[in-house]
Amino acid sequence: MSRSRRNWNEVNAASLARWIVLTGFLAVTGLSYVYLTLQLYHLGDRKKALETEVANLRMQNEVASAQIAALTSRSALQRRLKEGYLKMIPIAEHNIVRLTLPARNPDDAIQPVSNQRVVR
Amino acid sequence: MRWNSRTRCAIVCLGFVLLFSAFSFRLIYLQMIKHDEYAGLAAEKHVIKQPIFAERGTILDANNEVLAHNVPVETVVADASRLTNIEATVDLVSNELKLPRAEVSEKLHTDRRYIVLKREVAKAIADSLRDKLRAQNLRGIYFEQDATRIYPNGLMLCHVIGFTDFEHKGIQGVEGSLDEYLRGQDGYRYIEHNRAGQELVLYRGQERAPRNGYQVHLTIDLNLQNIVEDEIDAAMRQYSPKKATIILMRPQTGEILAMANRPAFDLNRRSEAKPEQMKNRAICDLMEPGSTFKIVAAAAALNEHKFNLNSYIFCENGLWNYGGTPLHDHAAFSDLSVKDILVKSSNIGAAKMAVTLGDQKFYEYIRRFGFGERTGVELPGEIPGLIRSPNAWSKISITHIPMGHEIGVTPLQMATAMCAIANGGKLMTPRIVKSITTGDGKTISTLSPITLRQVISPQTARNIGEALRGVVSDRGTAAAAAVPGFTIAGKTGTAQKVGPNGGYEKGKEVVSFCGYLPADNPQFVGFVVLDDAQTKSEQNYGGTVAGPIFSRIAEKAARYLDLEPHEEIRKAIPVERVALTSSSRH
Repeated sequence: MSRSRRNWNEVNAASLARWIVLTGFLAVTGLSYVYLTLQLYHLGDRKKALETEVANLRMQNEVASAQIAALTSRSALQRRLKEGYLKMIPIAEHNIVRLTLPARNPDDAIQPVSNQRVVR
Repeated sequence: MRWNSRTRCAIVCLGFVLLFSAFSFRLIYLQMIKHDEYAGLAAEKHVIKQPIFAERGTILDANNEVLAHNVPVETVVADASRLTNIEATVDLVSNELKLPRAEVSEKLHTDRRYIVLKREVAKAIADSLRDKLRAQNLRGIYFEQDATRIYPNGLMLCHVIGFTDFEHKGIQGVEGSLDEYLRGQDGYRYIEHNRAGQELVLYRGQERAPRNGYQVHLTIDLNLQNIVEDEIDAAMRQYSPKKATIILMRPQTGEILAMANRPAFDLNRRSEAKPEQMKNRAICDLMEPGSTFKIVAAAAALNEHKFNLNSYIFCENGLWNYGGTPLHDHAAFSDLSVKDILVKSSNIGAAKMAVTLGDQKFYEYIRRFGFGERTGVELPGEIPGLIRSPNAWSKISITHIPMGHEIGVTPLQMATAMCAIANGGKLMTPRIVKSITTGDGKTISTLSPITLRQVISPQTARNIGEALRGVVSDRGTAAAAAVPGFTIAGKTGTAQKVGPNGGYEKGKEVVSFCGYLPADNPQFVGFVVLDDAQTKSEQNYGGTVAGPIFSRIAEKAARYLDLEPHEEIRKAIPVERVALTSSSRH
């Protein structure tokens, strides 16, 4: 019994625990650093993908707007009218009701021919 | 000599110290002294300044209808040093982009690192090519974002809108004159990329967002423009003139409501257009105005109180010898009032009014009406016209200029002068741009009407207007310009064409009509001019050719603008247009 006791080294539990905690902390810190760095890369890629997606959507939107503008342009509508896809009926004089125009400031000689709404 | 162990140890240590000192010195040298140089070299390899292109602004009409806008396209480029399978790439690219195989093959069989294969490739085609390249694992083909300018109305308003070159720089029309506003400002971003060329978003550097171009709103009303374009096309079919121009303006503000020229070209196929088709003749063509210029002589004479509207002038029974040169009228008039001189378009009467004024005074009024100087409209390439000073006039110039000879004016100058008669004597700067806004509608600039000067008194303008009403009557030279239900004031013009070698060309005329409606409260001024209309010589007059065109335009425009017809006139005049009479000349 006494021989075997002599063969055992004494372990400083407190010191060991300190080292384990320190090593663990360093390991966790290192792993966290690696994980967070990878996350950053991953999020960067995700951000880039989203940017590309938004850009593509915007581009599709612009292409669609261009198509709408082309199809609803005066020239296109007149072509459709000539082809018979559209039909227009002239408004007869008796169907026109003229309202009394509001009094206009004589200084303001500009006659509004367009609506004033803001587009886009 | 034998060294003991301590000495040997010291020598080894010293060796290590020296070695590591050398390493340290090298490290310090590289990291501190050469830092900027190597950092720069590294950045050159991995950091690039990526441009973020600004979007060119849209051009809109007065009702916010789109006249010019952008469509995203892509430019397909190749890096010959990175091609993995040239033959397969050539096959695929030539097939997808509809390019000749030999052309693509020649381009790719080089060692160039930047080869433009095709510009303005539609996004759908680019996407298809991209997918197929990926599927076949072919490398070395890249796609660059770009945009192309699209004009939805093609030929309509082509001279006013203008177009851009392949670098998106405006070079004609509003695209050219307002390029500074339309262009916007490109942004940039510093990015780092890996060996595969993919961006490392983590190391994204300095960034500046682009500023998109502003939207330009024109004064042009596409509905009126459409009316004008239809009529100018009809005139081209009927009379086959060499050139034709029609302008509609709002006299109170100088706003140009419509402007059309022929020949014209399709803005979307501008590369096929000839230079002659690209000229905006309303501002860059000289013409002798003919009798429409009599309004200047009459206005000057009335404004200077040399005559009043009912003063009588002896018109020499149709032939007046002045300065040894005979001056003719188209009919033998004896005494005509100032009003009737305009109604009947007497050359002799107009010449006598100018003679009474004198060279200097008459010249002064010509300049006051804006002739001989650019109007200042926001369009490029405008010419000032040709007005000689009195010291360069011949003895008979004073009798020829009142009937619109010996001078050169632009159609826009003539329309602007008529605006001054219509609006009470104020010369307005013609305007084509209404406002400039940002893409989200915030106003950057609103262009207000600019009154250049009071040319004649309001009373004189009213008097001239009264005389001009007579022109568009059975008694006048432009009965065919009448519009049922409205009073019209206007003046016809018929001028022989000046030949390329000087002198006048027989049988070739420039016919015009300039008028406004309604005469008592003008809402628009219209100017119609046809150069060398192909018709019988006895019908080739402003009143018979240009007058009816004005009438049709004015009738449709009045309906569109919802101008209320004059009740009494509506009852008095039948629905049909006033028939032509023998007096419908000049």
